Amino acid sequence: MPHSFQNRPRTTSGADASASLEILTAKSQWLRRTLFEMVMRTRKGHIPSCYSSIELLVALFYGGVLRYRHGKPNDTGRDRWIVSKGHAAMALYPILADIGFVAESELAQFTKKDALLRMYADPEIPGIDAISGSLGHGLGIASGICLAAKQDSRSQRAFVLLGDSECYEGSIWESAAFASHAGLDNLVAIVDRNGLSIMGRTEELCRLGSIEDKFRSFGWEAVTIDGHSYREIAEAYGRVGRTGGKPLAIVANTVKGKGISFMEGRSEWHNRMPDAAQQERAWADLETNCISH
Amino acid sequence: MQAKPKLMRDVLIEEVFSRAKRDKNLLFISADLGAESLDAFRAELPGQFIHPGICEQNMIDLAAGLTLSGKTVFTYAMASFITARCYEQLKVALGAMKQPVTVVSVGVGLGYDDAGPTHYTTEDIACLRALPNVEIWSPCDEESAREITSECCERPAFRYLRLERPALPAVYQGNFRAAMSAGFCEVAAGSDVAILSSGFMLHRALAVRDRLRMEGTDAAVIDLFRIKPLSARALLSQLERYPLVVTLEEQCLAGGFGSAVAEAFVDYGVQRPLLRLGLPDRYFFENGGRNHVLEKSGLSVDTIAERIAERLAPPARRQSHLPSVPTLSSF
Repeated sequence: MPHSFQNRPRTTSGADASASLEILTAKSQWLRRTLFEMVMRTRKGHIPSCYSSIELLVALFYGGVLRYRHGKPNDTGRDRWIVSKGHAAMALYPILADIGFVAESELAQFTKKDALLRMYADPEIPGIDAISGSLGHGLGIASGICLAAKQDSRSQRAFVLLGDSECYEGSIWESAAFASHAGLDNLVAIVDRNGLSIMGRTEELCRLGSIEDKFRSFGWEAVTIDGHSYREIAEAYGRVGRTGGKPLAIVANTVKGKGISFMEGRSEWHNRMPDAAQQERAWADLETNCISH
Repeated sequence: MQAKPKLMRDVLIEEVFSRAKRDKNLLFISADLGAESLDAFRAELPGQFIHPGICEQNMIDLAAGLTLSGKTVFTYAMASFITARCYEQLKVALGAMKQPVTVVSVGVGLGYDDAGPTHYTTEDIACLRALPNVEIWSPCDEESAREITSECCERPAFRYLRLERPALPAVYQGNFRAAMSAGFCEVAAGSDVAILSSGFMLHRALAVRDRLRMEGTDAAVIDLFRIKPLSARALLSQLERYPLVVTLEEQCLAGGFGSAVAEAFVDYGVQRPLLRLGLPDRYFFENGGRNHVLEKSGLSVDTIAERIAERLAPPARRQSHLPSVPTLSSF
């Protein structure tokens, strides 16, 4: 049965709130259900790409990592976040509504004619710091943001969510080299390592190998974690700003479609919509908690 | 005697440098294209000079991140590499996100003599024109290069600035600033034909004018230095008095400078003969330098003058009832 945005779990608002595991878990469930409802309404959007990133995003916003003020998207000093893997950019929308950056009523309008919330995000939407939809831009743009902050002696950081398949793009490695050389320790790349691109498994299609090793060889601090474990995510986010002048790459092993059993790890669901029976099964799956500990 | 003209890139760098000394938010990024004038900038303002590696894609995305954070940014590289190589970044990070970065393109057209098709940009106007939100500027001398640079510093926008590689003689005598907002300027008067051009080819247009005058043809030369946005209405009104309009460019004709003018003719229902002169639809590998390639392409001063004279001749005197072969495949 459809879930309502109003039923979201409450946290104390703002970035100071370091929510308990229980609350984060509830947020995960709320975000997955809200996104499912949004996508089903117009049958537009990419559920599996969002679902592998849910815990990574929830922990960023509600785990006391990001610095922002509720309802203040234009606060120039706030941290920046870029979901560079554009298919998952919509996963930010319920969060942006929750933190008072966009009106809650916009969620029901997602992808509807002339509505604010588009399939891929762009900075006309409050709280979206860079355009997405074309892979390989977010890390370079974030590097510019971080360099400007360094030049101006501001403590601002930028967090970029990359897809593992996005790491095929050469521009990612151009940016990785620069960020390391420039000592951008205020830059954090989070790689959603779900192992799938649209046409299949990355390691079978064109091997990516160890993304952690790749970033480390570019002079980054790098770590690999379980991207559905709040404990491991918190540990990794705890390293932000403690990297000895290096940018930080967090490679998060995840499951594409995590939370809906028949979508998990299945590339064919990237752009497919469930029929009525499958929707019933999906809602049932979304009743249960899917995160790892 | 006139002072030796400066290289356009030196004019730009000196202008940005002098302003950057007073404005720490003014940044210059070069993807490994050096210049002596840039060495002084790097030495004195190391924090405002950025070398991103030979990484044009990252350079443009990085620039967007910097302007998003309130910086004024110039990106600088050889023309062929700061256009096609990072076209996607120009479109997405600067065009779609409306980021006010000045993209400085050095050595446009066949400017890198003998370097061949990898270094020539015979399509940059067509490519950049296709992007919404960009302005395209093409200075022809020191004064115009300096004034346009100054505009880029004072009123940042997504601008594509086409710099010629060689130093070119002065066309403007303190009158460019006044002409700037119109986007074009009649730099030589005439009555029989108007030749529209910009940059390096504007000087060729002026030479063609002298050549035509020897035969009693009085050509006007118009510097169309802002190719986008085109001040179409004002330009077309200026062109009304000429029985023939010629566009002259160092680009392949598809979608380039002449196309911009032709589109304005069609859009405004102007039914006047328009002769588009430019490079043939091919890549250029041959040695011999810029002039040699232009000559082989039917763009020597004499050949241009002949082609214009032919179009001006009464129909009976023409070789055919149709004008010259438009694809220039004969060259």
